[in-house]
Amino acid sequence: MRILGCLDGTNAEQIGHAAQMFSATEPLTIALLTVIDIGPREDIDRIRGRFWRPPMGHHPITQEMQAVETAAAQEILRAAHAYVEKAETLVRRGRPELEIVNAAAEWKADVILVCSRAEYGEPPHLGPRSVGHVARFVLDHAPCPVLLLRPLAGEQFPISR
Amino acid sequence: MFLFFPLSEFWRTLFTSIIGLLTLAGIMTRPFRWSEARIAMAGGGALLLLGLIRPADAALTLLRDWNTFLFFLGMMGISAMAEAAGLFDWLAVQAARLARRSAARLFLNVFLLGTVITMIFSNDATALILTPVVYVLVTRLRLPVLPYLFACTFIADTASFLLPISNPINIIIMSRYPLNLFSFLRLLFLPSVVVITINIGIFYLLYRSQLKGSFNINNLPNVEKAVKHKAYFRYTLWVLAVVAPSYVIASAFQFPLSAVAVMGALLLLGGALFWKRTTLLEAGKGISWSIFGFIAGMFVVVRAIEDTGLTIKLGNLLLGLSGGSSFGAVMVGTFGSALGTNLINNVPMAVVMNSSLSSVQHAAPAIRNGFVAATIFGCDLGPNLTTVGSLATILWLLILRQRDVEVSGLDYFKVGVLVTPVMLFAGALTIWLLL
Repeated sequence: MRILGCLDGTNAEQIGHAAQMFSATEPLTIALLTVIDIGPREDIDRIRGRFWRPPMGHHPITQEMQAVETAAAQEILRAAHAYVEKAETLVRRGRPELEIVNAAAEWKADVILVCSRAEYGEPPHLGPRSVGHVARFVLDHAPCPVLLLRPLAGEQFPISR
Repeated sequence: MFLFFPLSEFWRTLFTSIIGLLTLAGIMTRPFRWSEARIAMAGGGALLLLGLIRPADAALTLLRDWNTFLFFLGMMGISAMAEAAGLFDWLAVQAARLARRSAARLFLNVFLLGTVITMIFSNDATALILTPVVYVLVTRLRLPVLPYLFACTFIADTASFLLPISNPINIIIMSRYPLNLFSFLRLLFLPSVVVITINIGIFYLLYRSQLKGSFNINNLPNVEKAVKHKAYFRYTLWVLAVVAPSYVIASAFQFPLSAVAVMGALLLLGGALFWKRTTLLEAGKGISWSIFGFIAGMFVVVRAIEDTGLTIKLGNLLLGLSGGSSFGAVMVGTFGSALGTNLINNVPMAVVMNSSLSSVQHAAPAIRNGFVAATIFGCDLGPNLTTVGSLATILWLLILRQRDVEVSGLDYFKVGVLVTPVMLFAGALTIWLLL
């Protein structure tokens, strides 16, 4: 079985644990994917347009931007390797939601592991609108089954009828 | 052409209006991916070629606004040279150090840094130079990027009426309707503080969940590394320490601010050349030359429209809408300018409003000052509504959104629609109370 784990910089442990659940059943091939989001760069270029400036292009700071983006992606993958030792690593650049579904198709994934949204130290996001736009797009457009990993929701039960 | 074949007033007005409207529509929609500068210059050129404006009048219009052109040049020069010194990187690292590992405190510090940079260097520097620097910083610190980018982009406009030099729009409007420093500060400083506070408060509410974390201070780059050349960096600080108060003194005595800006830029350029931190060619690349063509084209087009009396009619309409009260003047000036900036960008809107406001010259001082301050306020803050461009851009992004793909530009729009009307109303109300 080929499992594609989607890393967002905050979910290495969750993806690692979910991959381990599968490992008991059959031999697995796991790939860990991290996407360098180009959205903020597009925004910066749009803002430059408003001030009549051309896109960043070969501006000196773009090299620095690329270097920190690559370093961040490598660190995310390193952190995930602590939970999933034997895994291929994939780094892509683009819109995360598009890159995840395209990578799943190209890599011929049997299952995609994705978290409902990135959590930056805040309490778990549960209830309505708890699934972020990336996970939502993956659920709608993935070429294979998707396992949506969510925070444990034990405390909210029983939900009043 | 029509100089040789005299036309009746009706036909001159009609042709001029058509060219003016086509120019503004072109700036909104940018057909054939033409730049705004090309469209504005084409509009101005067409009016000249058809004889709808006399070459002497066009030349006089441009010469009269020498202060605006030189201010843009000096402002862009100072920002580019300060960037070459590594000043913005250094300030961003200091902001992160002072945040003491807290993502929320760093968020506040980015706002405060953006405010100071906008105040001294103008909104250009914050939006164009500080934003990528902050992007690098927060990516390095493994923090969510968007809240910090939004903070930079929004504060560039929100803090741009703290001082006359904080936005070139202020210079364009004040070149026609001079406000001395005291009047400027009396009418716009407090509204500025009010809208900055609202901006920070609403952003904290919106992004509170993403700002709860902390960052590892070891991921911060060394402060020394941010400074690209120690001697030039120190020199830059000294020059800026002279330029900043000089701006205030020049504003107080209504001395042309462009002289201070150009002098500051030349001093920094001299230092950069001396320490080999730049070349003339590289320094030239830091200037957006097309903006001069854009402004020149717009000045000529609006001058031709002004000659037909149409802008006076617009001014009279605004005056009528205000109901002859200072409250009406402030509200109409603010919301009219803000809407216009999102349709045709803020420079053309400021030029159009400059021409239209001649109708309010003879109104009561409270109404006149209300309109002038509200125009500055609306043209400066208005772009926050759509932030990434004009309403036309937003419509295009909405079309893209139909494909289900998250379009990042729309995030700005969603936030802008939420926060900007509140800021516009609160700021306008404060201006009215101060009249």
